[in-house]
Amino acid sequence: MSRFPGFRGAKHLLVAIGLGSTALGTGAMLTFYEESLPGSLNPLYASSMVDYRAQELIFDRLYFHHPIDNRLTSKLVEKGEVAEMGKGWKVTLKPNLKWHDGKPVTGEDICFTVKAMLDPATPSPIAQGYRTILAGCSAEGSNVAIIKFTKVVHNPMERLGFAVLPKSQFQGTAIQPDDVFSQKPIGSGAYKGLRNKRMATYDAFPNGHHNPGVAKLQLQEGGDPAVQVSTLKNNGMQGMIAVPPPFRPEVSATDDLALKSYDLRSWWFVAVNTKKGPLSDRKVRQALNLLLDRMDLREKSIGVKAGEQNSPCEFISGPFVQSSPFYNRKVLVSERADRAKAAQLLKEAGLEQVGGRWSYGGQPVTFKIGMLSPLNNEAPDLLQQISNQLGAGGFDRHEEKVSADDWQRKVVSGAAMDFDLLVGKWSFGVVDEVNEIFETRGANKKGALNIFNYSNPTVDQQIVEYNQARTDTAANDAYHKLHATLADDLPYLFLWKLDTKSAWRSEVKGNTIAPYYYWTEVDAWKYLN
Amino acid sequence: MVRLFAALLLPAAVPAILTALIWALPGDPAEIICPRASCEATDALAARWHLDEGPWGFYTHWGRAALAGDFGMSWRVLQGVPVSEMLAGAVPMTLVLLAAALLPVLAGAVGAGSGFLPRRADGSLHVAGLVPAVIFSLFFAAVIALRFGGNSFGEEATLWRLVFGAIVLSVADGALAGAVGGVRALFRTERKQRYVQIAALRGEGMLENVLPNVAAALAGQLRARVLHLVSGLVVVEVVLKIDGLGDLLWSGTLKQDFGVVLAAATGFAAVSAALLLAQAMLEIAVALHIRRAPRVAAAVSA
Repeated sequence: MSRFPGFRGAKHLLVAIGLGSTALGTGAMLTFYEESLPGSLNPLYASSMVDYRAQELIFDRLYFHHPIDNRLTSKLVEKGEVAEMGKGWKVTLKPNLKWHDGKPVTGEDICFTVKAMLDPATPSPIAQGYRTILAGCSAEGSNVAIIKFTKVVHNPMERLGFAVLPKSQFQGTAIQPDDVFSQKPIGSGAYKGLRNKRMATYDAFPNGHHNPGVAKLQLQEGGDPAVQVSTLKNNGMQGMIAVPPPFRPEVSATDDLALKSYDLRSWWFVAVNTKKGPLSDRKVRQALNLLLDRMDLREKSIGVKAGEQNSPCEFISGPFVQSSPFYNRKVLVSERADRAKAAQLLKEAGLEQVGGRWSYGGQPVTFKIGMLSPLNNEAPDLLQQISNQLGAGGFDRHEEKVSADDWQRKVVSGAAMDFDLLVGKWSFGVVDEVNEIFETRGANKKGALNIFNYSNPTVDQQIVEYNQARTDTAANDAYHKLHATLADDLPYLFLWKLDTKSAWRSEVKGNTIAPYYYWTEVDAWKYLN
Repeated sequence: MVRLFAALLLPAAVPAILTALIWALPGDPAEIICPRASCEATDALAARWHLDEGPWGFYTHWGRAALAGDFGMSWRVLQGVPVSEMLAGAVPMTLVLLAAALLPVLAGAVGAGSGFLPRRADGSLHVAGLVPAVIFSLFFAAVIALRFGGNSFGEEATLWRLVFGAIVLSVADGALAGAVGGVRALFRTERKQRYVQIAALRGEGMLENVLPNVAAALAGQLRARVLHLVSGLVVVEVVLKIDGLGDLLWSGTLKQDFGVVLAAATGFAAVSAALLLAQAMLEIAVALHIRRAPRVAAAVSA
């Protein structure tokens, strides 16, 4: 039945000339809005949370943290044991594992994945991350692989969270981003996936280790959040991965919709360029920290009022969310501005106030402030609000939004040194390691995410302590010290953890949302339409 | 001759100019995928995509491959998909949209030229033409999302996207009003010519006298209208999410997928070249027709 009258003849004509649009069936198909379409379905080329989530449906990671009890587990491995005197890990695969093309998953596939990541001709930052820890792999028989490390590691399974790729789909170990595999991947996960220009579709693939409860999934790019929420209410779509805070009350008030927490372990920050002008002085950075009124920022950009219960936004004093074992509770959060104390610190740093504006070396201080553009969806106007607060504190400003591409290309690689301050967000899995964000840039891609090329020997030493830790307690202690150091030195002004909430219709049952990867437990999802 | 030369040059010149432009833009696709700070194969990736050969090297390599029908693979818009496959889907969609948008424009022009469309309609068309295409498109995009939900990209929704797209293209930004006004003004001016009035006194048909003399100008106007519609295509396709050449050009530029940008731009250049060729052919035909000493001269000598 046409939803608009007429045009049926024209419809047949257009179909005949091959519009290439996807005919959608009915039945148990679950459709949901994502923040954007995935850039790649090849796990080696994931560059956003959308990519990680989209790929989780298609591939099995060798090991992963169980979303309920956090234990390290695997859907592929039957038995794992230490090998090579602690410098290796021997995995025995479960029987009857199949790729989506029907071929068996073997130890050769595990080793192929390791070798592909080690191949320097594979231009993947994800593979690069594994090159410092993985040394090689050898297969024994059809279902055993011995993965070798560059050194003895105390938590080998923790280091083996990569998605396994099928050897048969590639000509060699140098895997390119523009391979057809990025669009039509073959995995061993619960769903067989395909991405086209407007959506990604997933067909259930029952396997020895997967039995998905929903026959078909369809991912579409979400546009205007108001339209997304309305479509959900009308049952035009069944889910929405990220509901911006201003729309959460409306979703909560709708009987047919449920808000579900999605633990991304992400925290927001203002990175400070410690190499530039007055910002190289720690006192100036501390003054800026005191000029920020976080309560006011939170209220104006996210809509959380002071004293509100169940706030989605939790302040932080360092580079961890408060629920992390690494969070140092002795370091207090600065919630309100203290302009008098800030002014005193600025004067001590040699700045002068002329006509209400701060000057340094006789020149008025102007900050170039940037923000990762997509964050504006979650915290509208945050850039402007931060700028206003610094303006009220006596600084001139120039604001600029930074596109996701430029953030990846320039900011993360430390090439955006023309900025003074950058507002961003880091997201983590269960292990929220921050080494790459704060250690001095160097060989072996150290400090690969160090935005303003910050360098502090004390911080570097504390990161070494963390790396050398052999127990959880030692690792926690090292990071507690790091938290305190960073909260004092302030290469970042730490803002908050902002909860991510999904909305799903009430017909969707058993929808456990895994931290970070979201779909890890998708087999248990049901859609009772 | 100039038009013929321009028509032949356009499909080669547009990608060349675009290559120079995209080269001047900040950012390098190889570095976006494999940032130097966290990935050591950036140069290898740049070499694979011929980005290390400079703009001329890149352009000549792309041009040679394109002549052989190989437009390469998409780097970022739809990673891993041959660009030729994307073009094969986009070109028919754009042509259908263009043809559907051209129909009301042509009908309006014919109506204005023949006097069938009354002059009092011009005001309404002009007012409708004041609304920018993007406003109409956003409205219709929301209507489709709310109406079709999960089926927003199904057959029926796609048809409606095309219908709405054609309406927006033909009405918004003054396309229809311009066509009607332009043709009406052209005919009005021509009808005031002395030869037309003499022909009318002799009892000859108005149209058969006017048409050969305005045909070249009409062809020029038609080409301008089609180009007007083509330039609006990008906005309409992007906002209404129609998988045509305009959307491909936009997403390719946004994602610095050079192969997609050049292929889509070449598609547009080919449309423009075809229009130039058609106009040149029509001008030649009109010139030949006038040289053939039409019936009017025979009537005078008789």
